[in-house]
Amino acid sequence: MASALFYILIFPGFLFVSVFGLAAEYIDRKLCAKLQNRVGPPWFQPLADLVKLVAKETVMPVDADLTIFRLMPVVALTAAITALLYIPMWGPQALFSFQGDVIVVLYLLTIPTLTFFLGGWYSRSVFSMIGAARSITQLFAYEIPLFLSILAPALLANTWSLSEMTVFYGQHPRYGLFNFAGFWIALTALLGKLEKVPFDIPEAETEIVAGSFTEYSGRLLAFFRMTINIEMVVGASLLAAVFLPYGLHLGPLVGFVLYLLKVLLVVALLSLSRTVFARLRIDQMIDFCWKYVAPVAFAQLLADLMLKGLLG
Amino acid sequence: MALLDRIVRWARIKSPWILHFNSGACNACDIEVIAALTPRFDLERFGVLLKGTPRHADVLVCTGPVTRQIKDRLVRIYEQMPEPKFVLAVGTCACSGGVFRGCYNVMDGIDSIIPVSAYIPGCPASPQAIIDGVVKLLAGIDHPETQAAAEESKPAPVEDRPAGKEAVEVTR
Ligand code: SF4
Repeated sequence: MASALFYILIFPGFLFVSVFGLAAEYIDRKLCAKLQNRVGPPWFQPLADLVKLVAKETVMPVDADLTIFRLMPVVALTAAITALLYIPMWGPQALFSFQGDVIVVLYLLTIPTLTFFLGGWYSRSVFSMIGAARSITQLFAYEIPLFLSILAPALLANTWSLSEMTVFYGQHPRYGLFNFAGFWIALTALLGKLEKVPFDIPEAETEIVAGSFTEYSGRLLAFFRMTINIEMVVGASLLAAVFLPYGLHLGPLVGFVLYLLKVLLVVALLSLSRTVFARLRIDQMIDFCWKYVAPVAFAQLLADLMLKGLLG
Repeated sequence: MALLDRIVRWARIKSPWILHFNSGACNACDIEVIAALTPRFDLERFGVLLKGTPRHADVLVCTGPVTRQIKDRLVRIYEQMPEPKFVLAVGTCACSGGVFRGCYNVMDGIDSIIPVSAYIPGCPASPQAIIDGVVKLLAGIDHPETQAAAEESKPAPVEDRPAGKEAVEVTR
C-alpha cells in the first residue's frame, strides 16, 4: 500500500513527472530561444507560469457544457501520467508490465487529444470548435503512422510488452538499428500529437486564437499545459524505450542517466523542428502524413516482418 | 498564508502574458509593440508571452485612442479576461487621446473606458520605453499598497460624450 502510494504520488508518479515535464518545457523554450539567437526565459519560467495560472480566476463560459468543460483537463492529465508507468526508465523492466502494454500506452497517449477535442467542442466558442475539429482531423493523419512505427519493432521482438521489447533489443542491439526509419516517423507523429509547430494547426494562434483552449483559463488551462508537457516527456520516453533501448542493463543509475539523456535528445529534436519549420495547412499536413509518412511506416513494418521471417 | 501569497505574487510578476489590442491607433504604436516582442528585445526574458485570447492574458496592452466604434469591443475584451488583470496604455493616444483628442469620433485615452494600471507615453512609444513600462507595472504588482493608492487617486472615468452609441452591452 505504502509503496503503491509512493509510486503514484512521488516516483515515477505525479511529483517526478511534473518536475520532469516542467524541466522539459524549460529546455524546449530555452533551446528554441537560443536557436533564434535570443536569451530566452529563466529556468523557473514554466513553474511561474503554472503557479500564476493556478492562482488566477477560472472563467466558465455561459454556453459551455460545464461537466465536460471541467472534467476534460483532469482526464487528460491522468491519462498522460498513467502512460509513464508502463515505460521502462532505469532498467529493462518497467514498473508495471503485461502482454499488450504497448497498445495500452499508445491509447493512453491518444486520450489527451480526444480531451482536447471534447473540451474544445463543448466550450461552444467558434474558435475552439474549429480547433477541436482540426485536432481530431489531425489525429487521423498521424495516429496510424505512429501505431505502425511503434508496433513494427514489437513484431520483430515478438512481444506486446514494452519491457520485454527492451530486454530483446538489449540482447540484440543490432536489430534496434534496423528500426531507424521508424524513429523519425514516430518523431513526426509526436510533433503532431503535441501540436508543435509544423503541425500546430489546431491551435494556430494567428488564425483561430488558441484553438481548443480558447475558452480555458486559470486552473483548467494549467491542467492542459501540464498535460502537454507530460505528454512530451512520456512520448519522448516511449521513443527512447522503443528505438533507443541501449545501456539499460548497466544498472539503475547509469540506466536512468542514459534515459534522461535520451529524452533530452528527443526533446531537443522536437524544439529544433519547432524553430526550423513553419506551420502547414491542415490539408497539406494530411497529404504529407498519408502520402509520405504512412507508406514509409508500412515499408518499415514489411521490412521488420521479412527480417523476422529470415531469422525464423 | 503569507508565504503562499508571496509565491503567487512572485509567479504573477514573473509570468505576465499579454494581449495586444489596437483600439484605434495609427498603427505606429502597434509596430513598436511587435518590435518589442521580436528576438532583438526578447521580452520572453521577463516571461512575457503574446497570447491570442483574452482568457489566457494577464495584461491588456492597448494602443491608440478609443474610437466610438471599438469602445464596446474594448470593454468586452476587458470583461473576458480572468482576474487579476492589468491594462497597459501604450502611446500618447492611449494615455490621453493625443493628437486625436477632442475628435468627434473618439473618446479620450483608454482610462476613459476601463481602468489603466500603467501609462507609456511616446508617439510612438519606443520598444525600450514599452519594456520599461512593463517592468514598472510589474514593480507595481509587487507592492500592492502603492498600486491600490494609485488606483484611488485616479480620476473617475470620463463620462461618454453625448454623440454616438451609449449602451455598453457586455456579453460573453
Ligand atoms: S501615440 Fe502616436 S504613434 Fe501611437 S497611435 Fe497615437 S499617433 Fe499613432
